[in-house]
Amino acid sequence: MNTLMLSCKKASELIYKQSVIKLSIKEKVMLHMHTSMCDGCKAYQKQSELLDKFLQNHLQENETNVPQIKNNELKQQIISKL
Amino acid sequence: MENVMDTTNPTATIKCWVELYSDSMYSWALHKTSSKETAEDLVQETFLASVQSFDKFKGDSNPKTWLFSILNNKINDHYRNSYRKPIVDGNAIFETLFDSDDQWKRDQRPQQWTDDTEHLLDNEEFQKTLQNCMGKLPDNWYSAIQLKFIDEKNGEHICQELGITNTNFWQILHRAKLQLRKCIELNWFKK
Repeated sequence: MNTLMLSCKKASELIYKQSVIKLSIKEKVMLHMHTSMCDGCKAYQKQSELLDKFLQNHLQENETNVPQIKNNELKQQIISKL
Repeated sequence: MENVMDTTNPTATIKCWVELYSDSMYSWALHKTSSKETAEDLVQETFLASVQSFDKFKGDSNPKTWLFSILNNKINDHYRNSYRKPIVDGNAIFETLFDSDDQWKRDQRPQQWTDDTEHLLDNEEFQKTLQNCMGKLPDNWYSAIQLKFIDEKNGEHICQELGITNTNFWQILHRAKLQLRKCIELNWFKK
């Protein structure tokens, strides 16, 4: 029975793996069993999906829609080096 | 020689470009690297490189587009280089989060996030928190996240080029995510 029980560390690994490739049937069952009993990993699974969304959104920004920040020091520094 | 004729004088032209574009280039580099110092270095290197290769610039293309293409190459090179520098202790994050039985430590166990998470993407303050948390990742974890995205988006196979085996790469991204989650929880949801 114990071989079927995942540790939280292993479960979190499977949660990551799941976001990249399909889990095997065995892995799926084991993860499901674990998250149905473990609130921490259940929360992590949900948050992991959210994180993917946050990252995707953050990385997809393009040059025109990032917040514009002035940096006059840098400007002067570059001009002095040209 | 420099002041003979302004239109053929690269330095004068490029000084003008610095005035016009350095802020938006800096903003972009900061967004892509989450590090003020790195962003400044990359923008400066871009302008210095543009002096060197000024004759490759064709007057009919947009200078801003040209400068951004140099900058983007430099940003990608930066990811490659920092990915190659291994961090000191990659396993520390596991020891922080899990006990000796590989279960969550009591104070590290993920709690449900109570905020309305749907609208966070439009929230500028949250974006800042995310950016800060990304900036706190070890350099090569941060670069791994960026490289994975570039690979997926452009099919550039940088990950293959860097000799990253899948398992290795996953392990890094998995750790990066555990750390990001923790940072966001601490700095946003529990604030």
